[in-house]
Amino acid sequence: MTRSRLVLSVSVLIVALGVVAGFGALWLDSARAAVGPLPGEGLVFPADTHFVMGFDVKRVVASPMWTRMASKPEMRPEGLKQFETMTGLDPARDIDQIVVAGRGGAGKTAPQPLVIATGRFDLEKLSGTMGMAEQAEKRQLEGTTLFTMTKENEKGETESSTLALLDPGVLVFGPTAGVEAVVASRSRGETPLTQNTELIELVEGVKPGSTFWVVGDSTILAGMPDRIPAPGMGGSGSSVGLNLPPLQSLTLTGDFDPELSMALTGVAVDEAAATKLADVVRGLVALMSLQAQQKPELAQLASAFSVSTETNTVLINARIPYDLLEALQPKKKPAPGEASPEAEASAAVTED
Amino acid sequence: MRDTTRPLPFFRAARAVFDLSLENMIWSRRSLLMALLVGLPAVLALVYRGLLAADVPTRAVPPMDLYAIIVAIFWICNVLPLMALFHATSLVADEVEGRTLTYLLTRPLTRPAIFAGKFAAYLATSLGIALPSAVLTFFLLATARGWSGLGTSVPDLFRDLGVMALALVAYGAFFALLGVLLRRPVIPGLLFLFGWELLANLPGYLPRLTLTAWLRSLIQHRPAQEGLAGLFGQVQPAGLSLAVLVVASSLFLTAAAWLFSEREYVLDQ
Repeated sequence: MTRSRLVLSVSVLIVALGVVAGFGALWLDSARAAVGPLPGEGLVFPADTHFVMGFDVKRVVASPMWTRMASKPEMRPEGLKQFETMTGLDPARDIDQIVVAGRGGAGKTAPQPLVIATGRFDLEKLSGTMGMAEQAEKRQLEGTTLFTMTKENEKGETESSTLALLDPGVLVFGPTAGVEAVVASRSRGETPLTQNTELIELVEGVKPGSTFWVVGDSTILAGMPDRIPAPGMGGSGSSVGLNLPPLQSLTLTGDFDPELSMALTGVAVDEAAATKLADVVRGLVALMSLQAQQKPELAQLASAFSVSTETNTVLINARIPYDLLEALQPKKKPAPGEASPEAEASAAVTED
Repeated sequence: MRDTTRPLPFFRAARAVFDLSLENMIWSRRSLLMALLVGLPAVLALVYRGLLAADVPTRAVPPMDLYAIIVAIFWICNVLPLMALFHATSLVADEVEGRTLTYLLTRPLTRPAIFAGKFAAYLATSLGIALPSAVLTFFLLATARGWSGLGTSVPDLFRDLGVMALALVAYGAFFALLGVLLRRPVIPGLLFLFGWELLANLPGYLPRLTLTAWLRSLIQHRPAQEGLAGLFGQVQPAGLSLAVLVVASSLFLTAAAWLFSEREYVLDQ
């Protein structure tokens, strides 16, 4: 064998090993994730689901964003605090992944979504904590423990939410009827979500390894505004505005480490609609650049976005550093009687 | 007994030229330089893994985002076309420059067979350098945060290997044609790569006149880019991109082989 053939053989061997290892990983991994990043447990969501979103909690917790949130208690969502108090669980320690599924709607009319969390849950401890809660009613459904909490909403209607412990690694929370349906589907070995082929196709297309992802079908997107105010019209409610072509589906994926990065894929009705939508986004990005004289951070923000089209699909990518996000936050006005940092500095100079 | 008045059959002749060219091509300074350049991401991935393992606080991009940048920007848009330029333009031009073409042409070999053998040697050399580097870089980066989720990224690897091979074929065919047409094809080739191919970043129909726009459409990675590329990036349908690249490569190769067969080479004394 000549030297050159030896070099080629080594190259072929490396590529062949890589391909074999790749097929191995593909075969082994398919057992863990049922559809794209959706775990098998997520397939028990109802078939009429219009959106699904997922969070890789371990990676969220390891990200700089979580560190920043931890240092500012006011930034922790109220729902998360309630969840921690109610269940005694520490999301950072106990949860690996959260998947949320819902049926759309806007604001307070939106039906409560179903949440599945996978991780390590101490069933006895959790049962104890939940059992002690005064408003929680403990019961069994098809061999699964359910905790139902009932409260009255602002209209005086009774709403009930239920938390079910499917097994030591899976917990489901949401409206009682939805959770009961999930428990029933699971005990019968059914996977209703697979009947929603449109949504399943979208989940399959999610970028692998994303820290968070959201997919929504046309039903949920129908509720989105179809026009935005034209530049210079402000939010005066004027009828003059830019028409937004309707979207058939939307996929958002992203990461929090080392900076906030997002990839948004919107599927429009046709190529012309996609081009129009991309042009609207480009226009907004250009407007941001024009505002850079008043706020230099906007120029940096504008350069963080890239927009492209692929037939009837619009692709928007963004990479935003956390320092930039903080710089874009409105400056907190000092409370009455509290000196601003500038005033304190000038006072110090005067004293000197 | 072979009839010595007739040239060798096409495949035997091409195979003989392939063996001869492969030895010269793999052990050349050009290939060494290209191997260093193409293999750089694998070294970078190793350093990245080292930094992660040592828990050094960095502001590095996530591993798979880094892989996307390497594939979409470093390899597909820059290094692979450059490798094709340096190797494919020299298939015939080097023989002319070194005044060794006469020795090849006076052998009982048909000219298309010579061209086919040389192009096959170019492909074997460039694929032998590029694909192992892609496999190593992928596994180093995809497993940087553990083996979980590797399976979901693997289809990207397979697609990337295919697109890299197609990039070497398409650019190789174009630069081989340039090498047959021109006496000194490197400068025009560089102008094509870093001038004409930038049209891929413009809006409208102009990107369809470049190879890079079709190649970029075939890969799944869309790293955020600044400037025109970020604002006006277009992605063509995958099927159409594949068809355009296959047809373009075939046309370039046929034209190059035909020109090489028909052309009279007058070597400087």
